[in-house]
Order: sequence, then structure tokens, then C-alpha cells
Amino acid sequence: MISTAKKTTQLASHEQLNILLIDENVQRAESIVTALGNSRYKVSHLACTQAGLLKQVDEIQPDIIVIDIESPNRDMLESLHTISHYNPKPVVMFSSQQDTETINLSVQSGVSAYVVGDIDPERVKPILDAAVARFKAFHKLKDELDDTKHQLESRKSIDLAKRLLMKTNKMSEEQAFHSMRKTAMDTGQKLEDVAKTIVSMLRSLEQGHEHD
Amino acid sequence: MIKPEQPNISLGFIPLTDSAPLIIAKELGFFEQWGLNVTLQKQNSWATLRDKLHAGVLDAAQMLAPMPLASALGLGAPPANVITPLVLSLNGNAITLSEGLLQEVLKENEINSVTLPMAAYLLQKVVEKRKRNGEAKLKFATVFPYSCHYYQLRDWLKAVKVDLDDVEMLVVPPVSMVECLKNGDIDGFCVGGPWNAKAVRAGIGMTALTSFDIWQDSPEKVLGLLEEFHKKYPNTVLALCAALKQACAWLESVPNRFEAARLLCNEKYLNAELDVIAPSLLGSCLTHQSLPPRSIPSYNQFSVSNNGCINQPELVRGEWLIKHMVSAGQIPPHVTIPLDLVAKVFRPDIYQQMRLLIEDQGVQFYRRSG
Repeated sequence: MISTAKKTTQLASHEQLNILLIDENVQRAESIVTALGNSRYKVSHLACTQAGLLKQVDEIQPDIIVIDIESPNRDMLESLHTISHYNPKPVVMFSSQQDTETINLSVQSGVSAYVVGDIDPERVKPILDAAVARFKAFHKLKDELDDTKHQLESRKSIDLAKRLLMKTNKMSEEQAFHSMRKTAMDTGQKLEDVAKTIVSMLRSLEQGHEHD
Repeated sequence: MIKPEQPNISLGFIPLTDSAPLIIAKELGFFEQWGLNVTLQKQNSWATLRDKLHAGVLDAAQMLAPMPLASALGLGAPPANVITPLVLSLNGNAITLSEGLLQEVLKENEINSVTLPMAAYLLQKVVEKRKRNGEAKLKFATVFPYSCHYYQLRDWLKAVKVDLDDVEMLVVPPVSMVECLKNGDIDGFCVGGPWNAKAVRAGIGMTALTSFDIWQDSPEKVLGLLEEFHKKYPNTVLALCAALKQACAWLESVPNRFEAARLLCNEKYLNAELDVIAPSLLGSCLTHQSLPPRSIPSYNQFSVSNNGCINQPELVRGEWLIKHMVSAGQIPPHVTIPLDLVAKVFRPDIYQQMRLLIEDQGVQFYRRSG
């Protein structure tokens, strides 16, 4: 896991990343912008008020969102990918209140939200690096999981089709598999899709027989 | 009288008209009567309120009815055993369209006025025209993904087969709704009071219908707390529920609700004008600057004396909310819904204990004004 995260960090370090920073404390926001001056992080906007935030998100398409945990805009920014059609983005939240540590523990294992203490310009870069790395590692893991799940599903349909062919056409396992592979090659379809067609066809035939 | 194991409670709320029970229980001393020292903690976003509750920074909080279920399922945050022993309010939301969208509706349907509550089919022509001409999709805002607002908006549009892919949905915090509508960032929203009334008073929108016109008498806000908190401090939870139930009962009287509106105006609570807070509490739905208000007696409902159980978290209501979460595609494939999920989250047993307690104490419940 650690090695994956490191690798992603290295990979990501060449990209220019757009940050949407939302902070009502103008002074603090400005010092963060200065601190990030010569880095891959480009602070695209400093939203001090609510107005027009939605349009800005649309235009900037930020890669990371940095926001005060007490901001009412948190709900909007965090749910961009839940009910709107945006890709998920890491959200880094900062809090100047005493209870940060406790909240941190509960959010820590979350997927795309991170809480840090009062944001310190000196420390802002490593924090963003860590957030980006964790976010990417998580999504890589999730993609791998989805992939594995998909492979498992396709394996299941191929096996089922094979068994049905063996039963109805009195084929051996090898014959059944070869016949499916041939159909796939001849028709330019994926083996999995051929298997699915066979399953649904043989099933509907079976049902037809039952009605006879 | 029971003795709360832990008298000091920090109770989270979002400044909305239906946070009235929490504010009334505090202002009228109901919490104190039950031996509690409650600090109301105003929150700015539902996600932060949730995280603080999960972390124990808040002991209990006013939540959107689907939120405890989302917490238990681990949707949007790591899973936490949130339970709800009390329904705080029914109804209370409304859908408001921008003045611009209203004009488009009139034009496309070749009509001069809209009959209220407005049927969503009138939107169909606008949606279709925009699609045909390659114009931007209509944008509707709600307050949180796991909210009745979102499901109500979807139900309203789906009922007339508006394809939900042909409109855009997004979340905007309640305090920013009116400004976003004014700036044209969104074309309509579904939100609770006082924000619909605020848009109408400002002359920038028309409240097309209330949530009561879509779903009759469904739980809107509930009291949420961690199961562990209840295990540790059962009497504290009973006292908290009893004080809030007493506040709900007090709010049943319409004359009392005007007094409530005056308290809600305060800077530390809603920080809004009386003329936008009072109407919905009095059963009046402001519709448009040039139109009279509609009478919706159940616009904000906190308690009904001839129906003792509206504050009881009924399992069937929980199941119903789960159905909406599924239908909105909010349950990812890797999450399985445990069969006993609703029974673990919705806790009518605690509610019943609290009712017995109140009856034993002979608390004067239905305190009419005057």
C-alpha cells in the first residue's frame, strides 16, 4: 500500500493542479497563495463570498478543494460528484477550532475528505501532497476492486454458458468453450458477451419448452 | 423525575424554521425542567454537523430524516451507529422557481398564469425545448444528497415523466439558495423555511408547491445521536426526548407559533426577518409577489394531539426512505442493506419509554397559549 501511494505521488508531481481555496479570512488565504508560489499547485481562486461560487467551480474544474470545515459551502462542494456529474475531488478541510483532532479521527478513514488543523502556510504543501496521494491511492484501489468484480462476473457468465451448452447440446467442456470462442472471434464480440447471449437464449428456449 | 446521567448536552442544529422545537425547548426552559443543561450549537453544513456527531463533538443533533440511515450505511462518511428516537417535524419544504423560469413556463405552454400547486408537466415543454435547441439544462438545487428535499424534487419531476437526465441537480447550502437563484446560477430549488418565503419577498421567484403537496405528512427532521451515547446515558436521552416532545406539543398551537417565530428571528438562531419566518409557521405559503399566499395548515407540523404518534419514528417511514435512497441510486453496489437496518436506526422503543415517563410525571402537555 505504502509503495503504491509513493508511486502515485511521484507520478502526480509533474501535473499542474488547480486548487479552489475557500477562506473568508483574506489574510490567511493570501499567505497560503504565497506559500504555494513556486509549486505545481495553482490557486485558481480565492472565494471570500458565496456569490458565483457555482459558476467558478464550473469554470475552474478544480483538482483539489481546500475549505474551512465551518463553511456552509462544504455540502455543495462535497456532493458535486454524488448528485451532479463531476468527477470526485479530494476535499481538504481545515479548522481553527479545538476539536479538530476528534473530528479528524472520524473523517480520517473517509474517502475524499481530510481534516487538518489550522492551516499553516509553511505546512500547506506537504498536506496537499499527502491528500492527493491518498486520494489517488484510494481510487486506484477502488478501480482495481471494480475490475476484479467485473472479471469475476464475466467468469461466472462464461461458466454458466458453458454448463448450459454442455447440458443442452451434449458437448464436452472443451467443445463448449471452443464453440463459444469461435462465435466470439467470428462475430468480433467479447467472450463474455457471447456467453451472456447464449445464457439468455437457452433460458428463453427452456421456458418455451415448459409452456409446450 | 428521572436523573440524567449526563446533564450537559451539546445539541447541533442548522438555522431553519423547523429547528423551532430545539429553540423553544431551550428558550422556554423545557430542557432545564428535565434536568438538562443544553448548549445549542449552530452549524453551517449538514456534512460538518454529521462529522461532529460521529466524532462525539456534538452529543445529539437535528438531522434530515434520511441522514441517520445514511450514517449507518456509511454513505458519504465512514459508517457510524446513529439512531433516532424522535421525529421533530413533518413537511416544511417547498419548491421555488426563478422568475426567469416562470416566464419560460408561461411562454412555452402559451398560458398567462399557473395554477398552484403547479404540476410538473408544465416544465416538460421547457425541458424539451432546451434539449431541442441544445440549450443549458434546467438546474435545480437541493440541500444535501441524503435529504427528503432531493427525493421530493425527484418525485415531483418523475411523476410526469420528466427525464431526470434532462435536468441538472446540485447541492447549494440553504443560506446561499436565494442568492444563487437571483444570480441565475440555478433555475429552481427545493429547500425548507425561511428560504422560500425569502425568495418570494425579494421578488425573484415563485413558490410552485410545498413538500406537503408532494408527500403528505412525512418526517422531515429527526433527533439523531450515537447508539453508544444512548447505552451510556439512557436517562439523558429520555430527558432530551421528553423536553423536545414538550416543545413540539407547545408548537401545535398556532398562536404559540407566532411567538416562536419572534424567538427564531434572533441573531443567534435564524438571524432573519419575522416576515419570512412567520408565514410557514402560521400555515401560509407565500407564492409570488403578485399573488395571494396559499393556505397550507400543515406547512410546518410539529405535533398533532389527535394523532399521538407523529413524533414516533415509525419503522415503515424508515423503510420508505430507504426505498427512495435506492431509487435515487445512492446505494453503491458494494453496500448491502442489512435486513434489520431500519429497526436498528429508528427507535420507537425509546420514544415509547419517553411517553410513559411523561404520563407518569403528569406533565401538562398541551399548553395552549393565553
